[in-house]
Amino acid sequence: MTDRTAHDTPVAASPQRQLLRTRVEAAASTYQEVDGWEQVSAHAAAHGDRVAIAPSLHAAQPALAASLEAHGCTAVVPGTDDPAADVADVPVAIVAGVLAVAETGSVLVSEHELADRVVTMLCKRLLQVVDAADVVDRLEDAAVWLAARGGRAGFASLMTGPSRTADIERSLTIGVQGPDEVDVFVLVGTDAATEESTT
Amino acid sequence: MSVIRSFGERYATALADPDVRAGLTAFQRGWRVSRDAAIAELEAQEGRSFDELRAELAAIKDGVLADWEPHLDTFTANATAAGAEVVRVATPGEANALITERMQAAGADLMVKGKSMVSEEMGLNSHLEAAGMTPVETDLGEWILQLAEETPSHLVMPAIHKRKEVIAELFERVLERPFPPDDIDRMVKAARTELRERFLASSVGLSGANALITEGGSILLVCNEGNNRMSVALPKLHVVTAGIEKLLPTYADAMKQVRLLGRSATGQPITIYTNFLTGPRPGQEQLIVLLDNGRTAMAEDPDVAAALRCIRCGACADVCPPYGVVGGHAFGHVYTGAIGLVNTSFHHGIEAAAGPQSLCVSCGACATVCPVEIPLPVQILEIRENVARSGESGTAGRVTRLALRAFQHPTLVDLGLRAVGVATTPLRRDGVTALPSALTARGPLAERIGWRTPPAVPARPARDTLRHGRLEEPPRLAEQPLAGRKVQLFLQCVSDRMAPDIPIAAAKLLRAAGAQVTVPRDQHCCGLPAYDSGEQDTARSMVRQTMAALADGADVVTPASSCLAMIGHDAPYLLRGDVAEVERAQELAGRTYDLISYLTSGPGRLPAGSLDDGDRTPVTVHRFCQASNTLGRTDAIESFLRDVAGAPVVPLPEASECCGFGGSTSVRNPELSSGILDRKLGCVDRTEASVLITDNPGCILHLRGGVHASGREVEVLHLAEYLVRRLPGATSTDQER
Ligand code: SF4
Repeated sequence: MTDRTAHDTPVAASPQRQLLRTRVEAAASTYQEVDGWEQVSAHAAAHGDRVAIAPSLHAAQPALAASLEAHGCTAVVPGTDDPAADVADVPVAIVAGVLAVAETGSVLVSEHELADRVVTMLCKRLLQVVDAADVVDRLEDAAVWLAARGGRAGFASLMTGPSRTADIERSLTIGVQGPDEVDVFVLVGTDAATEESTT
Repeated sequence: MSVIRSFGERYATALADPDVRAGLTAFQRGWRVSRDAAIAELEAQEGRSFDELRAELAAIKDGVLADWEPHLDTFTANATAAGAEVVRVATPGEANALITERMQAAGADLMVKGKSMVSEEMGLNSHLEAAGMTPVETDLGEWILQLAEETPSHLVMPAIHKRKEVIAELFERVLERPFPPDDIDRMVKAARTELRERFLASSVGLSGANALITEGGSILLVCNEGNNRMSVALPKLHVVTAGIEKLLPTYADAMKQVRLLGRSATGQPITIYTNFLTGPRPGQEQLIVLLDNGRTAMAEDPDVAAALRCIRCGACADVCPPYGVVGGHAFGHVYTGAIGLVNTSFHHGIEAAAGPQSLCVSCGACATVCPVEIPLPVQILEIRENVARSGESGTAGRVTRLALRAFQHPTLVDLGLRAVGVATTPLRRDGVTALPSALTARGPLAERIGWRTPPAVPARPARDTLRHGRLEEPPRLAEQPLAGRKVQLFLQCVSDRMAPDIPIAAAKLLRAAGAQVTVPRDQHCCGLPAYDSGEQDTARSMVRQTMAALADGADVVTPASSCLAMIGHDAPYLLRGDVAEVERAQELAGRTYDLISYLTSGPGRLPAGSLDDGDRTPVTVHRFCQASNTLGRTDAIESFLRDVAGAPVVPLPEASECCGFGGSTSVRNPELSSGILDRKLGCVDRTEASVLITDNPGCILHLRGGVHASGREVEVLHLAEYLVRRLPGATSTDQER
């Protein structure tokens, strides 16, 4: 892993990813393209001393916890007994998306288990990480993923920015029952880009 | 516990609070800007028009509504396979009992609720409270209303009728600490803290469903705040309440709904959380309650079935002028806005629908923004007819009915109005009837009539002046596109009797352009007032009378665009039971024009500059709402005035919004009508123009009355009246109306 910071202006980013960036930023999230998970850890550590990792992500990327610890913060992977209590006060969380939709700047997160869901619901700042290979053009591409699941029980959420409300006099307020801040990371490292989709 | 009060009380409460109106007007204006931008962006992205996109979604919905049984079966099978329990219930009572029973069985007494209109429809909260349980609304707006013991006034912005000052006060009272009204963030964060405890403590959660996706048995559930995600994730039992009509065949179909829903609701390209739930999570039970409550009856009624396409975006309220004055508590029942005026009678009974439907001004704005193309204005008139038939319209309804039936008889009307004209001669001033100020300045009548000076009833109707040979030969235009062409002038009953200058000006103009103008003797009324009052039988007989009067195959031109809306648009619909009649109605519609379309796109197209007399006084144009919304006219009058008459036109803000005339509404609900008129005249003030031009006589009399009563210095003119002054060698009588 290199120690480079996030690309602010991606070199030769695809038009698809440029659109994704525009839409992600329009939804009041930040957008960064990074080479690998190391930069995600560094970003998380810069925003809190405790960081929750969705259990499904922990299973897929076991090294992430150690990488967070190396940045001097505690990695929290909620258990199944009372996952909400485990992460109730954890300020930052990391989750992997199965795909990102350029059209809307959304990240599709599959989180069937409660322990996965509390991570994205209860934190103040949420880092959503997607492989560059899993960036798709349109909502219909997400529909294809949903249909391919063939009716198995599940919970998938297209997330587009931090939670918000305009219920009082139509005045926009960011941060209600979900995160106040969302950072979208697209993994453009060669490994990630050539891997098969992890769906 | 919130209880819905009588319509009369709700209407009076709404009118009593001017803050409500100011807030709603600001809300509607803000929504319009965001929504229009979002839809324009969508059209560019998709390379298709809004009309194409909504037709596509409507067709998907119709495909299901035509026969939802097989879709329901598949949905149920798929959801069950994913671990859910699906129960269909006929009535809210059954649904409430089922849910209460399940909560009791689970030993639960606290329910966290995401926003669900169906649960509002069922009155679930009251039911649970009566059983000793505690439902907690977790959507911020819904929570505010629960604290205030009120019901939602909007489908997506439930507390939009409440000003921040009122909400701050409420929070201070309930949470016992100070809340500065300008610190909305603090109120939102307080709600987060309060509600999070409830989420964590509750063992039952409830949500609605934005769609039931047949393929896969999934539920589409959208939200911005994240509360819905919590209420479906944390509790051990997740209850879904949904109407059985919410089915969509595929996930791809759901995405089409998503594209239009966020944009139509709040101007967002997509809601923050667009969740697809398939079955319960591990360790959870999921109970999906599918409610009928009148939906099957709606589906079987071809006049209203399309209303079941509704995706509850609230757009029909966001453009609705009466909604902007009184809000959703009066303009609606549980369901608010235009859709509430249609579906209430099926879900909550005709009594509940009677009051709110009387507030509709038939401007047609709702149909222009509905993302599933529901013909709401037509459906509201169907409900109005049902109300009229049921006798729920009360004394006012009976009086209207008798008056309209009498109005069918031309001779009776003729004699009656001539008598009024003679009797009111002493009060007639500048086209209005100057009522004694003792009546209009104060006292109980002032609020009902003081805001609008009534029109004068001239002793001589237009048809007398226009009788063959009576009208002096007007100057002719240099170029006469209508030379040798026969034109039947349809006077419109209102203009004929109350504003004869309008049809007379139209006749002069047409003659100046070369036409041979005839005034068919048997013409009376196109039937619009009767249709608008829910008296469809009377309307039909007047349509037939009009068709007979205009049977001669020549072009028909009317200075009243409302008559064109009736003859060209509504008449074939009203006669839909008889194919031959529809054909005749369409034949007439094909040769009927309002003045502006005849002079611009019709045979009477006038060359540029032909009515330019050099006068450069700025004018502004009110676009008759039905012409814009129903007939699809955009800037025809403005362009014509600029190009043909050389007049500088100052754009009128909200030009196509209704002026508040609204036919029977302005008579039955004058307070509402005056509220809409205020908004319109406020926009006119902003243009600083001293001449306001429009082309529907009803609106003109209404606007003139409002201008006169408020002491404004604005001349309100029909397009024909304005143009006739610009004819070469116009006489002084044309110069001063
Ligand atoms: S009727 Fe149309 S505009 Fe009104 S809420 Fe339903 S979908 Fe939206």
